[in-house]
Amino acid sequence: MEQQSWPDWVRERDDPQIAHTKPEALGDITVLDLSSKNFAGCLCSSLLAEFGAEVLRIEPPEGDFLRTCTPYGILYKGEGLNYLTEGRNKFHITLDLSKPEGREIFKGLVAHADVLIETYRPGTMDEWGIGYEQLKEINPRLIFASITGYGQFGPMSQSRMPDYDNMAQARSGIQSATGAMLPENKSYNECPWAVPTKAGPWIAWSAAGTFIAVGILAALYWRGITGEGQALDVASAEAYARFDDYAALWYQGAGVVSERFGSLDLAGWLYCFAPTKDGAVFLGGLRLEMWQAFADMLGKWDEWGAAKWTSISPFTQKEEQLKWAPLMFEETQKYTNEELVRMSIEYAKKGRLAPITPVVAPVCSPEEAMKDANWLDRGIFTPVQDPVYGELIVAQAQHKMTESPIRTKWVCRPVGYDNEHIYLKYLGWGPSKLKELKQKGII
Amino acid sequence: MAQQTWENYRQNKHFKPSPLKGIRVLEICTIILGPAGPGFLGALGAEVIKCELPPRGDTMRQMTPFGYFFRGQSPPMMHSNTDKYWLGLDLHKQEGQRIFRELAAKSDIVEDNFRPGVLERWGVGYRQLKEINPHIVYIAKTGFGQWGQYAEENRPSNDGAAQALSGYAWMSSFLGQPPLKSRLYVCDTFGALMGEVAVLAALHYRSRTGKGQYIELSQSENIMRAMSWVWPYQQITGKGAMPAGNRDVSICPADTFRCADDTFVAIAAPAPNEFRGLCAAMDRPELAEDPRFKDHMTRLEEENATAILKIIAAWVRTKKPEEIEELAENYGFAASRVYDSKDVVEDAHFRERGFITDIDDPFVGPFTEYEFPVMMSKSTPKVKWSLRAVGFDNEYIMKRILGKSEDEIKELYRCGALGKWADVQGCQPPPEWDGKAGVIIARD
Repeated sequence: MEQQSWPDWVRERDDPQIAHTKPEALGDITVLDLSSKNFAGCLCSSLLAEFGAEVLRIEPPEGDFLRTCTPYGILYKGEGLNYLTEGRNKFHITLDLSKPEGREIFKGLVAHADVLIETYRPGTMDEWGIGYEQLKEINPRLIFASITGYGQFGPMSQSRMPDYDNMAQARSGIQSATGAMLPENKSYNECPWAVPTKAGPWIAWSAAGTFIAVGILAALYWRGITGEGQALDVASAEAYARFDDYAALWYQGAGVVSERFGSLDLAGWLYCFAPTKDGAVFLGGLRLEMWQAFADMLGKWDEWGAAKWTSISPFTQKEEQLKWAPLMFEETQKYTNEELVRMSIEYAKKGRLAPITPVVAPVCSPEEAMKDANWLDRGIFTPVQDPVYGELIVAQAQHKMTESPIRTKWVCRPVGYDNEHIYLKYLGWGPSKLKELKQKGII
Repeated sequence: MAQQTWENYRQNKHFKPSPLKGIRVLEICTIILGPAGPGFLGALGAEVIKCELPPRGDTMRQMTPFGYFFRGQSPPMMHSNTDKYWLGLDLHKQEGQRIFRELAAKSDIVEDNFRPGVLERWGVGYRQLKEINPHIVYIAKTGFGQWGQYAEENRPSNDGAAQALSGYAWMSSFLGQPPLKSRLYVCDTFGALMGEVAVLAALHYRSRTGKGQYIELSQSENIMRAMSWVWPYQQITGKGAMPAGNRDVSICPADTFRCADDTFVAIAAPAPNEFRGLCAAMDRPELAEDPRFKDHMTRLEEENATAILKIIAAWVRTKKPEEIEELAENYGFAASRVYDSKDVVEDAHFRERGFITDIDDPFVGPFTEYEFPVMMSKSTPKVKWSLRAVGFDNEYIMKRILGKSEDEIKELYRCGALGKWADVQGCQPPPEWDGKAGVIIARD
């Protein structure tokens, strides 16, 4: 019997469309997420909830401030859009931890929990009597994960400054080295965009939330061996700075401080964005023969003397990049994005250096990306049928697995939506007790 | 108190066990998207065996900032490849494929970033390996995943392509200016990190059921997850999301501002007490009562956001960054100078925490690295050593893990299944290497 083709074999087993028919990796784990004003914490608990962990998202009775952090102040059915994307699969309950009675109730939930995620200023949980040292007495298996701007220890840990994504981006050393170069003889007033530039998305918060998710899962593994929980500490600025590949070594070894280099690349040629007739493309040709293929594809093989090039290294030098980039751009501007993409595919088939492929990718707007049939087919933008919010598109299925894949069951819940179910399930409290707590302002 | 938990963390971390003790990872990856993931697992205490094609190895070995080699090694290659053992193995050779299968039989995790189907042609694809070891957790990280139009067209990818295709670069620029490529290989590194979330969740599933599995990750798809509001915004409003430079359109105020000395400072003060603090620091307490700025939702509206950011910008222009930071501390909002790499490496706080860490490596010599950024109180992650030359640990791996005899090892070299480095910068040991330092098994 002929073996099934590899793509068919994989798709039959990991297509997100069938994810709901498979078991869940973290179905045995209960998580308490107390994140306050912090997307990293919410993303982290989403990553666990996608794998089937039961996440109890605990907010103060008025709801988390993060619900108001929404682009241009837009709400959808009363919710902010960022919160809507990372409320997924969680049960939302309210509890006032600033009140002693709220904290006693919280300890009851801790007894049931495997993981706790919190983002209060260092020391806050301790002052409330629900810090790691106190809670491990109740539950020694607890994994207590904290995300803050500067971490739980070190001279800056007592800073009053709150943790926001743009702060971590600024502190990481990465923003300073990203952005357009200031043109010669121009000032910032004339070119206010030629400045250190942060990434638009909340990438520093995403780094922090994802790193601590990795830490939590490693701690779960360790607990499986030893039976012991532990405390975890992530500082957002450090998490994002860790994404930097070479700045520390370059500074240490050569005393060079990384600077802005526009959409060229400090560490590689050919590796840049190039303008086209109708936008821009990414060009990738990090190996000599790929760079030669680009010269050839653009009809410059002879003029540029590509046949005589022997190494890519000289081209990575700053002066060389600044010399070659405008020559390249003059050529790429003669074509549309679509034409250049096709030229590269054709080149890989029939070019002088085929099958060497000069990598060309159009620089898309998110509007174009959301219409791309490839991503739609792969389940990234499959709308979620949410019982409260209706049909909503959030990015999902960022990885695909054959046995215990992630899935998005619902996107979010209003504040305190699951109080009834969760307090009954975990603490055995029915409507009359909840009513009493509500009157006291605790839930 | 938490102080006890974290007391002398940096000083004591090497006296504590590592969380992934006993886990073995087999890596056949190049550049960053592939290798960075096993690098994270290495810091967490897994034993990582990195296979490279001898004699030149990972393409990344030749990538350097403006041609700068750190003692003959590529800095970005060093960063993504800490705490690994180095095997020079040619998978084009049948004997090489056999060695790979023998290692896979004794491994927990396998990671690759080849284009779809390549490893299967070499007899070491997932379908073949799971016959030998059904417990394997296998992850393949690529540009476009294993199936779908782009995968079937066999399109190559890399970080820059993912930044372009996902809309990430487009969202990270100034309105009216060309889309900006990040200085980071952000889709590579974030993809590698997210891959480990899946790998470790699969490991948890395996410990419950005994079952291994196959995981695929596309770096473009993954970065889209980090773009959050963009997708429901487009669905709900029917409009395309627009870039906004340094302004955070979901948090107000949050932006980067130019100081009196032409350096830059980031500020954020969205919560009620933070915003009041900022207004007081500016000596403009009345702004907190202004109907345009009265609460966060109101401030976020385009016109109001533009107005308050303009007021803050004018104020910051009269101040030095350290003045702003001090005011932020006193008034309880957030501010930070835009740090450059020198500031990060020399920062006393990062150093006290051991995030910036000095490592004394027998092979590359002393170097400064970023620690794995999760501090764990009982089982500590730690970066211990950097890269090695291609095939540097062949003897160690053949002896210790596979129990090969000297004759067998010789034969593997003879037929070309095993190999060592080419005498090329980036592939070979540092110029000052004495021929012994760092070698584990056979030092003559």
